[in-house]
Amino acid sequence: MWADTLLIVFISICTALLGEGLTWLMVYRTEKYQKLKTEVEKQSKKLEKRKEAHGDSLDKQHKKKIEREEERLKNNNRDLSLVKMKSMFAIGFAFTALLSMFNSIFDGRVVARLPFLPLTWIQGLSHRNLPGNDYYDCSFIFLYILCTMSIRQNIQKLLGFAPSRAASKQGNNLFGPTPQFK
Amino acid sequence: MSTKTKLVEKNGVSKSPTKSILSRALTSNSEWPDKEEFLDVIYWARQAIGIILGVFWGFLPLKGIIGLALFALINAGVIYFYFTNFQSVEEEEFGGAWELTKEGFMTSFAGFLVTWIIIYSGLHYQPESLT
Repeated sequence: MWADTLLIVFISICTALLGEGLTWLMVYRTEKYQKLKTEVEKQSKKLEKRKEAHGDSLDKQHKKKIEREEERLKNNNRDLSLVKMKSMFAIGFAFTALLSMFNSIFDGRVVARLPFLPLTWIQGLSHRNLPGNDYYDCSFIFLYILCTMSIRQNIQKLLGFAPSRAASKQGNNLFGPTPQFK
Repeated sequence: MSTKTKLVEKNGVSKSPTKSILSRALTSNSEWPDKEEFLDVIYWARQAIGIILGVFWGFLPLKGIIGLALFALINAGVIYFYFTNFQSVEEEEFGGAWELTKEGFMTSFAGFLVTWIIIYSGLHYQPESLT
């Protein structure tokens, strides 16, 4: 049990580092990305401050200004995700291949015992390719996904590649209604 | 003009924290001029709590929905106590108590599950093929 589980943790650390390394090579170090990123961060912070300052006022001029800035931020955000997109596709393909390789290595093997019974809609994942009906058995893919969820994000944060909070907050607002400006 | 004020602001922020982030995180009622720093402290505290609880639950061993519910309760409770009583920050500055309570929750939950599952199955479960 120890060998399998620790091996999976090791695999997910390696794949997370590999993924971040590849993204750094293809995206993070490029001048275009860095320029766009600083721009988006600057704009998000500025917009947030402005919204805080004039949040309740219904002044038309301010409203227009904020709307214009939101539009600019939206465009920059779109450019940023376009820059990321290409390399994400390449990495996605590489990782699907890697994952199917690991899947076939661990095929039908119970890698761990779950201390809880997963919800029915997760059982398909946690019991994938496993024989029998004992849903406490854990498949490779379930543990791998959990490891990746925690390790990848922490590595991104440690290396400083995670998107800033201000930018992601503003980014989310763009897709939903912004209540104070209805 | 605006760049000038920004520069001043930046310098002000970088000069003022004479103490390191860690020592401020451990001292009650510290000043947090940079919101991001405080959110980072919350984030990493969460990760540590997740892993520590995962190790404990695995050793005990705690099982089932009780383990999951206790984790969620302790994780949210400790962080809530930390920012309301220990640091006494203005929740509104960070977008409300909910924003702070959910900061890094999913990542910490995943980390907790991984350590819980690994330690539990390593210590308390023998595969049938070996017995």
